Amino acid sequence: MVSNGMNAGRPARSAFFAAVLFLGLLCTGRAQTYEGRELVQASLLADVSAVVPGKPFTVGVLLRMVPHWHTYWKFPGDAGIPSEMNWKLPAGWKVGEIQWPIPLRLAEPGGIQIYGYHDEVLLMQEITPPASLTESTVQLGGEASWLVCEKICIPGSANLKLDLPVAAQNAPANEEIFSRYRRSLPQPWPDSKVANASWKRTSSELQLTVESAALANYPATEFYPLPGENVVAGHPKTERSADGKITFRVPIETQDRNVSALNGILVFGQSENSPERNAWSLTGAAPVATVSAPAPVLSGSIAKFLLFGFLGGFILNLMPCVLPVISLKIFGFIQHAGQDRRRILQSGLAFIAGIFAWFIGLALLLIVLKSAGREITWAFQFTNPYFVLAMSAVVLVFALNLFGVFEISLPQFANRSLLGWTAREGDAGAFFQGVFATVLATPCTAPFLGPALGFAFTQSGWMIFVMFLAIAAGMSSPYLLLSAQPAWMRVLPRPGAWMVRVKQLMGFLLMATLLFLLWVLGAERGVEAIIWASCFLLALSVACWMKGAFVGPTASFTSRLVAIALMLLLVLGSGYYFIGQKFRATKLVSASPATPAEGDWIPFTPERLASELKQGRAVFVDFTAAWCLTCKFNEATVLESSAVREAFQRRGIVKIKADWTNADPAITKILKQFGRPGVPMYVLYPGNNAEPILFPELLTQNLVLEKLETVSPQIAAE
Amino acid sequence: MKTKLLVTLLACLASTAAMAADSPSVGSAAPDLSLTDSKGKTHTLAQYKGKYVVLEWFNPECPFVKKHYGGGNMQKLQEEFTGKGVVWLTINSSAPGLEGHLTAEQSEKKIGEWKTKQTALLLDEDGKAGQAYGAKNTPQMFVINPEGKIVYEGAIDSKATPNAADIPNSTNYVKAALDESMGGKAVSNASTKPYGCSVKYKKA
Repeated sequence: MVSNGMNAGRPARSAFFAAVLFLGLLCTGRAQTYEGRELVQASLLADVSAVVPGKPFTVGVLLRMVPHWHTYWKFPGDAGIPSEMNWKLPAGWKVGEIQWPIPLRLAEPGGIQIYGYHDEVLLMQEITPPASLTESTVQLGGEASWLVCEKICIPGSANLKLDLPVAAQNAPANEEIFSRYRRSLPQPWPDSKVANASWKRTSSELQLTVESAALANYPATEFYPLPGENVVAGHPKTERSADGKITFRVPIETQDRNVSALNGILVFGQSENSPERNAWSLTGAAPVATVSAPAPVLSGSIAKFLLFGFLGGFILNLMPCVLPVISLKIFGFIQHAGQDRRRILQSGLAFIAGIFAWFIGLALLLIVLKSAGREITWAFQFTNPYFVLAMSAVVLVFALNLFGVFEISLPQFANRSLLGWTAREGDAGAFFQGVFATVLATPCTAPFLGPALGFAFTQSGWMIFVMFLAIAAGMSSPYLLLSAQPAWMRVLPRPGAWMVRVKQLMGFLLMATLLFLLWVLGAERGVEAIIWASCFLLALSVACWMKGAFVGPTASFTSRLVAIALMLLLVLGSGYYFIGQKFRATKLVSASPATPAEGDWIPFTPERLASELKQGRAVFVDFTAAWCLTCKFNEATVLESSAVREAFQRRGIVKIKADWTNADPAITKILKQFGRPGVPMYVLYPGNNAEPILFPELLTQNLVLEKLETVSPQIAAE
Repeated sequence: MKTKLLVTLLACLASTAAMAADSPSVGSAAPDLSLTDSKGKTHTLAQYKGKYVVLEWFNPECPFVKKHYGGGNMQKLQEEFTGKGVVWLTINSSAPGLEGHLTAEQSEKKIGEWKTKQTALLLDEDGKAGQAYGAKNTPQMFVINPEGKIVYEGAIDSKATPNAADIPNSTNYVKAALDESMGGKAVSNASTKPYGCSVKYKKA
């Protein structure tokens, strides 16, 4: 049933010699014999005895090379070109991608490394015939072409044909060879609990780190890259660290800084190039969905985006994550309400300076990182556990201060050196409150901030800077108004003893914020991390208490000195032990730790999304993070509400949760595709390759239900 | 946290420097070379400072090299740019006994037969120049500006096939790089994946 339509093609041996001796026409002659030997025998095989209309089957181009000669893999390495098959199929037939078996890694003198096959290779492709066929026999055919090399390289090609009967039923054929080559195909990447892969980009290198206990028994573990078009990648160097992590360092010569990950296969076995190897296919670098993401929201003038930035900054004041701190400031205004105007304005300006200082610092940092080629995103600092830890410490210290455990006072020398600055502690305090409020505000991307930042991140460093200034201006505008027009503050109550109570109450609000931060830490690093961080925070609290008890203005110089020394010892010592040793040893919790198969949400992987979309399903993706309060708010009040849940279910929409808590690069990539610098982001793919729909960042039930309503006809049409 | 980032940044810079030893990248100074041509004359890169220099890795037996010499594509390019004052150095790094190796005499003959138009055909039997540049393919191209910096490295053109018929439909990266660079513009495609046969270096 298999007919090998072997065809030697145009060139014969004489043509080859003519080609070598002659200049012209050198390349049209595709010699297949060399020194009297036929270098490659090509033939076409099918895994079925007959074609059943509409039922996919597999065909393979079998290339048999003479000993020592090789043909190439999909990515040939430093030299060579991959084999190809140009099908000439009747209309209505579909053909899939070549399924490449795990290649050999071959080294040539001079540090040249290539990926290819010796002796024999079967390049399989899935073919789908149309649902109805009138013929009783079909002929499948095409031109296979390859480059075969040993010490020299010779291109070859052949017109291959395969006749198959058409029948209502078929039986397997060529089982041995197909099952042998199917075994040597790379497998899909396993669950992130089995093997977790993460990428890092430096200016000249991509680093792939794989954590997997399953690989411990395979001494020969390698990464074979499959770089995209015009991505110039070198040979990965493998490093195994003591804790079982394997790092592959891939030299990258491509100038495109956006290359942050590569496709490729992770090959593992007992020895290099052994036939018993297995491989996992890593496809994170592929554009996740073949459906085109809408062009990032880039229309509109710079002025418009600056206005968005300003408005977004203003709205930051209303975000749930920043409200507790804003209340601090409001409280400050109440306290100052009785004082003179100049004094209030000064304090307000100090607060605003704090806001600006943080945003300017963040802008500069982002510009530096961007020019260093790192993936950057809004609120990226919250993906760093040490940052969250530092924030917890600051929140705790503020809370203890509000409880009255100690008073914040600047050392004398600092007071004196701050000339021109009226050097009253109120101003410095206000400045740091400004910084603090802003730091907590960053993980909330308000509706206007999203497009504005998305726009800025695609622009020059200068533009990022100006955009951050606009946001800072927006955020500080209410305080400027209040402090410039204290008359408006008359509506606020008069100061009195009640203020102490309110102050303490605010302290509890901060403690709640602390709980939230610790929860984020737990999501990132596990329960142990919370414990060790809390131990450190406890020591820090004791130090604060010592400050209040023994470093008062009435204490003698010596006792103050001793107390300060003890405090430093306590903070540094516990910091070294609990953070430097214990906390550091906690492991990153693998992807989507906060939501292990939470309810009916499917954890995100690029493959999963692509496969759901491929099947024409409608998919809703919730891009979230443990530290994103806005996300949690939306989830609790809208996405998990019974009305919305029911609507999703009724329409059969697949719900995927993309957890960005640990800055998963695959998720970062999609955020970028949509021009968004951070979470929350909500995308509805209506199915059947229709354009994805982006939701605003603050959800309401009505809004979601409405949007689902508008897409239902499309889904129904499926 | 900022300290940590700073350390990371410094580490990045350090690793860049370490990588540079492997193969020079676009923007870095072109390593000097000193090779004898088919006429017995010695050429160094230093002597051509102030001029654009093209380096072309060559193997007369390689089908991908023949693709570009067969129809006169490479000769035309050599003629055009040597006419504009560019120094075009063709380098043969095939070791004796391996595919494409040519003695000085055979090289002269090849130049005559193929009517090549390069400034000089340099012999690099021991592969030192090829290794200094990390050249791995024939053809593989480098364009060096008058300041001695590499402004392009990679393939000759955009279609990685051995078929001469593909030449008219492909973008010639070397021509584009020279035109842009000589016109005072930045090279838009400064680094591409070279394609071709492996350079036939001697066994280490």
